[in-house]
Amino acid sequence: MKVFQTIIAVVLGALLIYAEADFPAWASSKSPANAGELSQYYIKNIYDETLVPNMVTAVLADYRGYDTLFETVVVFTAGLAIFAILGTGVMREKKTAVPAPKRIYSEPPFDLIVRISTRMLVPVIQLFALYVLAHGHHSPGGGFQGGVILAASFIMLELSSDLRAEAAKLTHRMSIWLGIIGIVIYAGWGTLSLFFGGHFLDYDMLQALFPLDPLMARSHSMLIVEVGVAFTVSSIMLLIFRQLVSGGYSIPDKQA
Amino acid sequence: MIIEIISITMIISGLFFFLGAVAGIIRFPDFYTRMHAAGKGDTLSTVLVIGGIALYYMETHHWEWSAILVALKLLAIIIFIFISSPTSTHILMKAGFDAGIKPKLKENSENNTTSEES
Amino acid sequence: MIWSYDAILLILIVITAIVSLSIKDLISATITLGVFSFLLCLLWAEMGAVDVAFTEAAVGAGVSTVFLVATIYNTTRKSSD
Repeated sequence: MKVFQTIIAVVLGALLIYAEADFPAWASSKSPANAGELSQYYIKNIYDETLVPNMVTAVLADYRGYDTLFETVVVFTAGLAIFAILGTGVMREKKTAVPAPKRIYSEPPFDLIVRISTRMLVPVIQLFALYVLAHGHHSPGGGFQGGVILAASFIMLELSSDLRAEAAKLTHRMSIWLGIIGIVIYAGWGTLSLFFGGHFLDYDMLQALFPLDPLMARSHSMLIVEVGVAFTVSSIMLLIFRQLVSGGYSIPDKQA
Repeated sequence: MIIEIISITMIISGLFFFLGAVAGIIRFPDFYTRMHAAGKGDTLSTVLVIGGIALYYMETHHWEWSAILVALKLLAIIIFIFISSPTSTHILMKAGFDAGIKPKLKENSENNTTSEES
Repeated sequence: MIWSYDAILLILIVITAIVSLSIKDLISATITLGVFSFLLCLLWAEMGAVDVAFTEAAVGAGVSTVFLVATIYNTTRKSSD
């Protein structure tokens, strides 16, 4: 069987190397991805239509708004699926005796050096996450990256110090609600433009809300949408981490 | 000119310490001495290399404010590494000690009793 | 595009991918996978796709390594494959 797999891998690799000869040169302006009609439209018109210098954010949050909305929903659904598979009695403590899972989170006494240095680093990381989120228009970044960095800072805090005390501050129920709030911010902001006579996620129509020109309305709407994405991503990442690290049930919840 | 020489010296000495760290990881006998080489060498050489790059960037951009801003960002990276790298070395050492890895000691040394107690 | 830097990165990526697939100890495989993600992040940053590099560094090298280690601690450490 191993021989068969090796043959398949070698043949596929040879095919890929053979196909690689037909690739366009790196960063070639004549490659199909760059010379296509749609890409040319984006490259020429994005700044005039949205006032956002970072093309990736503009395409992600404005032109491809539906995609990003449902990507956020996919992240939320993945968190719910992991919650449904692992979460035995997290919302409410089960009476039946379950075997205690192995722990990877630390117990008191916590390591002093790790705790102090984490405490020094975590605010900086969170500030950087907020910068990545809010500055996504002008530099690389955006909701997904900022949300993941924010969640990573919380994960670092919980790994280095008391997971139970941290988990009591933000319960599972609350983090699911935060994920829902993120999606509601995104979809609600899209729905809001329906009331001003536009289509769903048509940010141009929101200029009635802002005392600005419609282009700035589009730019600011992207920021709001990215904030929604960051809410969902960070809370769901934290939820998945806690589910995995505790085997689903050993962290006492407030409802328990 | 002097700044360039200083920065190039810093970068080259940083690379030298990297080389020392790599040699230490390969050549040292047990876990603790290897981690010692990795932690110390990595931290110092990263700080030296990034500091040299920051100096060189400021010098070649004629000490404009934008260049100084870039150097400040590099300084933030230096501080981050200066805090996080020794911490990770420390916690790896502690995990190894808790897992029962014994340091390699001389046969007839007096310190031999401490390894048996742990 | 510096071709020698690219070549070193690509060779290391192939090596770490093969190692992380073939190693028996799952924690070592996870750490090697983290190294693989970080090398991919360097490659993307070098090719100018800083957005993707960002995401790879945060998700691939950071958070998913923690997730995999947590999963391994709740299941088994030895690979039967």
